[in-house]
Amino acid sequence: MTIDLTQFHDAFFEESFEALDSMEAALLKLDIGAPEPELINTIFRVAHSIKGGSATFGFSDIASFTHSCETLLDELRSGGMQVSLVISDVLLKTVDVMRAMLRSTQSKQPLDMQKVSDVQFDVEMMIAQKNNAPAKPAAAPVKAAPAVVPAPAAPASAAPATPPRWEISFRPYRELFARGNDPLRMMRELAELGELTVNVDVSALPRFEELDAQSCYLAWKLELAGDVPEDAIKQVFEWAEGDCDLELRLTGGATPASGTNTNANGAVAAPAAELADPSSNATASTAASASAPAAADAAVADAILSGAAAPTAAPAGAPTLTAVKDAKPDAISAVGDSGSIRVSVEKIDELMNTVGELVITQAMLSQLGAALEGGNAEKLRAGLAQLERNTRELQESVMRVRMLPISFVFSRFPRMVRDIAQRLGKQIDLKLTGEQTELDKTVLEKIGDPLVHLVRNSIDHGIEMPDVRMAAGKDAIGTVHLDACHRGGNIAVEVSDDGGGLDKERILAKARQRGLVGPNDVLTDEQIHDLIFLPGFSTAEKTTDLSGRGVGMDVVRRNVKELGGKIELRSERGKGSRFIITLPLTLAIVDGQSVAVGSETYIIPLISIVESMRLKETSISRLSGHNEVFSFRGDYLPIIRLHELFGVEPRARALHEGLVVIAEGDGRRVGLFVDDLLGQQQVVIKSLEVNYGHVEGVSGATILGDGSVALILDVTGIIHAASMRAAA
Amino acid sequence: MNKSKQGTATRATRRGRAVKTPGTATEHKTGSGGFAIAAECTVADAGSLKAGLAKLLDDTGMVTLDISAVQRIDTAGLQVIATFVRERESRGRQVEWHGTAPALSAAAKLLGLSSLLKLS
Repeated sequence: MTIDLTQFHDAFFEESFEALDSMEAALLKLDIGAPEPELINTIFRVAHSIKGGSATFGFSDIASFTHSCETLLDELRSGGMQVSLVISDVLLKTVDVMRAMLRSTQSKQPLDMQKVSDVQFDVEMMIAQKNNAPAKPAAAPVKAAPAVVPAPAAPASAAPATPPRWEISFRPYRELFARGNDPLRMMRELAELGELTVNVDVSALPRFEELDAQSCYLAWKLELAGDVPEDAIKQVFEWAEGDCDLELRLTGGATPASGTNTNANGAVAAPAAELADPSSNATASTAASASAPAAADAAVADAILSGAAAPTAAPAGAPTLTAVKDAKPDAISAVGDSGSIRVSVEKIDELMNTVGELVITQAMLSQLGAALEGGNAEKLRAGLAQLERNTRELQESVMRVRMLPISFVFSRFPRMVRDIAQRLGKQIDLKLTGEQTELDKTVLEKIGDPLVHLVRNSIDHGIEMPDVRMAAGKDAIGTVHLDACHRGGNIAVEVSDDGGGLDKERILAKARQRGLVGPNDVLTDEQIHDLIFLPGFSTAEKTTDLSGRGVGMDVVRRNVKELGGKIELRSERGKGSRFIITLPLTLAIVDGQSVAVGSETYIIPLISIVESMRLKETSISRLSGHNEVFSFRGDYLPIIRLHELFGVEPRARALHEGLVVIAEGDGRRVGLFVDDLLGQQQVVIKSLEVNYGHVEGVSGATILGDGSVALILDVTGIIHAASMRAAA
Repeated sequence: MNKSKQGTATRATRRGRAVKTPGTATEHKTGSGGFAIAAECTVADAGSLKAGLAKLLDDTGMVTLDISAVQRIDTAGLQVIATFVRERESRGRQVEWHGTAPALSAAAKLLGLSSLLKLS
């Protein structure tokens, strides 16, 4: 039987990427000169875990690289080096490299090793420079040869008192290897911390034939001499937590008796025996796992050991594997936030779908219930009302599961802006607002790349060099602002800058040169702005690695459109540009107002509706052509007759006979003329694109309680469609 | 930056060092009673290592383990070898080492298995 270690790779990669994110965030928060120790610890822990994990999985390149980082971080942690701008820069680079290495290992793609060795070189240079500087009096980590009794003279002369000694009892569970842990690595790290004496317990080793090559049968009693903090030891065993019994005991140090050195080998047996005794747990206040059932764990381990000592341990193989599989979620949650679990998106989608169907069924029942008469009808309706409430709550909860704050995407920008600004020699202040705006995970994942592009674009093309800005009477520091908010039924994400704005003349000239625009065509500002979204269009004088290659804006627009959203650009020469991305929440369910137009029922999302009213003839004005407007609170709003738009025979043609629903979309308000309002209800969105095709003005369809299909209106699309008709 | 020529030199040597002898993934016998242990002896290879050694368990003569190719070894790999050596001994049969493997010796030392393996 072999255990495929690759099954643990995914968890490792996922955890490592998350850990790198937190490392990056911590690095950016790091104050130069007076860094918070906890932040440095966080950063160190990340490097350490990735090193450990990659070493045990055999990703030796990553392990070697992270080892260098760890060494540097350890210097920072111990105060041997001070955090400087240069160091934090290099560390940020190491985050990138680690990420790239992990990614290439994960996807089994080759990696540019030149970059890796460059950064590693920088890191090692820094450590070397530090070592050349006035040396720290503490001894450099000695690769202590284990099981060696030191000459009593050497350490005794170095320290006035006997150095403290840790007694470590390390009893791995069988599945330790399968979890990607290697005791050898731990020993190596311990040996770096101090002088390590190793005693192996082979009593659990089965006969060769019965040996399961992937199970760990060995146990160790270790002695670590030296002034080693408990945390450092625990850190070595961090990844094995839950896969072993671990006991730490501090002895020596208190009494300056020089005898401890000489009995290094002989004395091991005695305390070791003590350690094996479960009753000593009470005194071992420093038991590593600090978990309450430590004694129980020890007992279990004993049971396993005694069981394995008997020559009938053969069937251990199969159960071990299942244990590994079962325990995997534990391992994951233990590393991540203990209050959360990982659930695959498919499961949630399945749940969403079921809830969607439930909502339809509930609507159907409500409709039936409303028509019932008789003694029990009232009770039934009360029950149905409760069902409706519960369904709504259930559906909201499920929906919230899929929602994540946009800060997940925004969080990558501080770093990016910092890097690009540095490279271009620009000074940029990044402002993030509305980070807590939640949106669907799928949308969130897909909006990242377009946003990156826009922000890069703003920095590269938008914000001017400091001297240019000063000359223009602006602050030398440019501002890039990322904002997210709910607007109507949508999420609006804005990327704005206070840079130079778009040069309309140049865009137009370029477009003419490329034959995209006829030489005599006159374009509106909006149309000119639209040009930059065309494929292959770039006005940058020289292409940089950031932008100007002419791939980009068209891709941005395509990505946004694929999400059912749209992108707009507002720009003023000399003042800056604003890209506004409007995204649908793309939730599976929407609160809608059903309206009747002739024999058809349409759903208008409630969130788009301002109010509904019956028009008086006096408030209606007719403009030239077909256009009708009505006065609404001092404004004149255009009227869109839905029956005309959709080609339905209406019951009412005269405006005062029907109703207008004042709806808002895209920052504009219009009055939608309908025959009647039917009721408000939640409807499940069934995609029209997937099942049929895109229809302007319709965002989807739904199944009503009576089984008929109603179209869900997209107010923005309707406004657009109507203005096209009016223009035609 | 302050990366001068000196830096390039160091980088070059480091890349030189990084070149590794490609490990052979399969074990092969070196004649009767002899066995060459593969370059990679990690948990992923432990199963095949055990299978290879199993054939020699009952060998009546002296078994020679050629460790000179070993590049990488972890606890799981060493555990297999240690179990093999112990089992042979309990049957009153010998195991002999051929060649040296710094990775293996260092690992045995760190894990406290040197004496069991009679690696001195």
